[in-house]
Amino acid sequence: MLKFILRRLGISALVLLAASFLMFVLTVNSGDPLKDLRESNADNKQQLIDARVDHMGLDDPDVVRYVDWLAGVGQCFTGTCDLGTTVTGANVLDLTAQAATSTLRLVTAATLLAIVVGIAVGIISAIRQYSGFDYSVTFLAFLFFSLPVFWAAVLLKEYGAIRFNDWIAGGDMKPLMIFGTAAVAGVVVGAVLGGSWRRILSTGAVTFAFVALVLWVLNALDWFRNPFFGLGMVLLTSLGAAVLVTAIVAGLGNRRVLYAALTTAVVGTLSYLAFAGILLEPSSWWVLIGLFLLAVVVSIGIGAAWGGYARKQAMLISGITGAITSLVIVFDILVASWASFLQLKSRPISTIGSETPNFSGDFWESVLDTGMQLVLPTVVLTLISVASYSRYTRSSMLEVMNQDYVRTARSKGLSERAVVTKHAFRNALIPITTIVAFDFAGLIGGAVITESVFGWKGMGAMFREGLDRVDPAPVMAFFLVTGTAAILMNMLADIAYAYLDPRIRR
Amino acid sequence: MKIRRASAAVAAVAAGALLFSACSSPAADDEPQTEDTAAESMETEQISDPCKVDTGTTETAEGEVKYSVGEDEFLGYNTLTPETYSTYNSAVTERIQGLFWYFGVDGTICHDENFGTYEAISEDPLQVRYTIADDAVWSDGTPITYADFLLDWATQAITADGAVTEDASEEALFNSISGLTLGDYVPDGPQADAADAKTFQYDYERVYADWEILVSTPLPAHVVAEQIGITTEELVTAIQEVDMDVLEDAVEFWNTGWLSETPGELPDPALVPSSGPYMFKEDGWVAGQSITLTANENYWGPPAATQDVTFRFAAADTHVQALQNGDLDVIEPQATVDTVDQLEQLGSQVTVTTGQTLTWEHLDFNFNNGIFSESLDAREAFAYCVPRQKIVDDLIKPIDDTAVVMNAREVFPFQTEKYDEIVAESYDGRYDEVDLETAKEKFAAAGLEEGTEVRIGYSAPNPRRADEIASIKASCDQVGFDIVDTGSPEFFDKDLPNGDYEVALFAWAGSGQKASGQNIYATGQPQNYGGYSDEVVDEAWETLASTADEAVHVEQTKVIEKQLWDTLFGIPLFAHPGVGAYSSDLENVRDTAAQSGIVWNAEQWARAS
Repeated sequence: MLKFILRRLGISALVLLAASFLMFVLTVNSGDPLKDLRESNADNKQQLIDARVDHMGLDDPDVVRYVDWLAGVGQCFTGTCDLGTTVTGANVLDLTAQAATSTLRLVTAATLLAIVVGIAVGIISAIRQYSGFDYSVTFLAFLFFSLPVFWAAVLLKEYGAIRFNDWIAGGDMKPLMIFGTAAVAGVVVGAVLGGSWRRILSTGAVTFAFVALVLWVLNALDWFRNPFFGLGMVLLTSLGAAVLVTAIVAGLGNRRVLYAALTTAVVGTLSYLAFAGILLEPSSWWVLIGLFLLAVVVSIGIGAAWGGYARKQAMLISGITGAITSLVIVFDILVASWASFLQLKSRPISTIGSETPNFSGDFWESVLDTGMQLVLPTVVLTLISVASYSRYTRSSMLEVMNQDYVRTARSKGLSERAVVTKHAFRNALIPITTIVAFDFAGLIGGAVITESVFGWKGMGAMFREGLDRVDPAPVMAFFLVTGTAAILMNMLADIAYAYLDPRIRR
Repeated sequence: MKIRRASAAVAAVAAGALLFSACSSPAADDEPQTEDTAAESMETEQISDPCKVDTGTTETAEGEVKYSVGEDEFLGYNTLTPETYSTYNSAVTERIQGLFWYFGVDGTICHDENFGTYEAISEDPLQVRYTIADDAVWSDGTPITYADFLLDWATQAITADGAVTEDASEEALFNSISGLTLGDYVPDGPQADAADAKTFQYDYERVYADWEILVSTPLPAHVVAEQIGITTEELVTAIQEVDMDVLEDAVEFWNTGWLSETPGELPDPALVPSSGPYMFKEDGWVAGQSITLTANENYWGPPAATQDVTFRFAAADTHVQALQNGDLDVIEPQATVDTVDQLEQLGSQVTVTTGQTLTWEHLDFNFNNGIFSESLDAREAFAYCVPRQKIVDDLIKPIDDTAVVMNAREVFPFQTEKYDEIVAESYDGRYDEVDLETAKEKFAAAGLEEGTEVRIGYSAPNPRRADEIASIKASCDQVGFDIVDTGSPEFFDKDLPNGDYEVALFAWAGSGQKASGQNIYATGQPQNYGGYSDEVVDEAWETLASTADEAVHVEQTKVIEKQLWDTLFGIPLFAHPGVGAYSSDLENVRDTAAQSGIVWNAEQWARAS
């Protein structure tokens, strides 16, 4: 295995080196770095041109400039990276660090969301093959897949930002809005749960009535401007999550697991009370991350204690429940901060920027500020990725569902849940792993348009600006990061593959 | 509500009256076009002064105004190096660095009396005396003095060899965008009694027509002195004596110490004092997002109207929605028909201003080679068939309905009085309408054959220019030309220097200089791409450039314009349209034709209470 990894690494490094040279030559020959000066009518135009030629080394052959650049990168091994400076004199290393941070913030949530939603939708549409739901998902997947980002972004800004902000100023849902929302929820839930027409109609109707009622009550309470959630709801939601996770993964018949999950939910909610002081005014993100890890560890411990014969499964499910409970708690805190956040920022979603300039809120209000700024770009990126993930998952799942061993599992009398989650799902995931790994690397550099439309300065912006000015340093920095990410992710996928499937190893 | 650029027109009248009261000719008193009169009477409440007017602000109001120039990151306090010099950077630094003058809304040079006063005490030889306001101080409390201007002069005068420049062609010691022109004209530098004098004098070696704008924004000399460990007096002496030991340290700091290598990290406040109404706000710069300026408490002039001004870095195509959503309060989007439509749909929530700018589009003939180089008839044939009015009507009027065909090169239509005066004497309107018959006659007289290829080159991609050429082709192909659109991304790099074109289509950005046209129209000058040469024009430019007398400038401009029309250097088309828009609850926002952009009077922006 080690030999395999080392060989892969060696080959990757050579590929990266060759590609970097190609990239460099292509970049420096992609245009005229003196274009703006040639159009200048300054008296000392020639001196300015000479200065830039000297500054960027334009008189040197491409190879010499490349070697200069490579020498700077080589210093990274001695701890003093020098990725050069841009034509405007900015330090490319700092620029790259900032751009990478910004891009990671932008794509992480989108990628995770796209994986979860895409795989879930893909599986459901595979199970409900040729149903109305399946057709709708297929239709939407192709629609989203071919969506021009800039156009979708402009629409989202119009409805998701401008109209939403106009609406939240009053926060009052019109009867038609309630009706419409409830109707959509009814149709979707009915279609997803499936069954006979009678059953679809009744689930749809119940969902419709429930959603309409909840919205009506929330509306009456002016919940959208002054929302509350509360400890009771935290407990209820966590318990619900515990039951749901158990039902899907282990089946409710497995009592030890169920009890483990329920205990986790209760303990999680109680710990919310215990840690309320720290949670409401955390000193930094590290505190929250620490608490989250602690929560997961404790949950796994609870699972281990309850587990007995199903220890492994109980640990897994408790861990997941613990994580969900933590998220519910964060949600509760955010909901509690919403009203004061609205006071600070009356139009909560901006159309540009990753944060509000000079925002003066406390920790959670700032989280809401940056969080709201993430919503629109995340939706755009997620829609596009969900489309491909759901298609891949669907086809992979369908293939697995038609395998002999799945038929065997069914014929020996296993429940459909067990067949899908235990036998089919895991195997269907194998090809998805590769795609996800590769996609993540792609997203880091591929959010160029999204970044620009939403006013984020990430890797894409750095690349584009560099290319516009025929300035190799930022373009090469972009290439280094995305190229390395692509190679690393590919290698991870390969290793995972080799681990899962011994036939890959040679 | 919609403010058209009538204000600029009115402004120009006022400016013209001021500048040319001594030399108004009968032509200038011609009846103005009826359309203009109507516009003026409708906008009587509009400000008629091209310069900033007193808004009566006495104290700074709490709050923040958000503006965006574009997505370019702020680069540094010193905007005078070639690396940092850009409209994006100046938009910020001009708020924190004061100066004796600025460009008004129609390109007029306005005096900033708050900063100080200046006057030419002698026109030939040219001697200019500057007096900085007594209470003018940097935001750290140090008075703004002669030393700051001497340092500014040094950056534009001293060569790398440690001498004052002879002819501005040497390598400069400082990495300044301005080159060595100032040192060339004022070899002795500004003269004053002491390092901390408030009054000083520039003695020009020879007269320079653009002397007013030659003296640029001073950076704080006391900061440089402190950073290299000497006193300001010692720095002044070192500059006067060209003491390279000291100067080399000063250069080192001037070239790099005021640049922000790492976006988002503001320099030490002690290094970047402000001499304007705003200063850097602590922690106000977030890399890739925005930079915020806050009112300068030590500013001695009228205080900034609003406490904070935030410059957000956002791409131009996001501006309209951002304005609608309140993420930006003032925008200057790309001037396209779509943008104007979008903005007008927003209704009374935003105020839209459209008008002309100081950038103008033109067709230039190639005099070095090709069919137009030797034959005036051929050039005239082309000029008679170019549908100038149609181009303006189809492409520019939908954006700015005050747009007109431009009939001059050195003055703009919105500088009404001066423009009318000069055009009346230089151009008789013969190319106003397409005249295919005359064009055909000239075509035949030039001995051209049916189907003669005319390559019109421009820097592609540029959809508007492609449309212009399509219009020209539709008209001129009837005469016998075969118009070919040879727009290319490498136009300025390859086609133009190689002479691979018959007609070049591009725009010059008006620099506000009086004599900059000499570079374009006089024989053998660097911007005279087409190789045009005419003795009358050369001589008129010589006369114009070597006097500071406004009357002579106007007279010589008439000579030049007339000769350029008669010999057909090229065909001016139109001044580029500009669009500005702002949230209607803001007061005192005024768009400008000058390149400083709508942000030029940011310190006067106030929220209506």
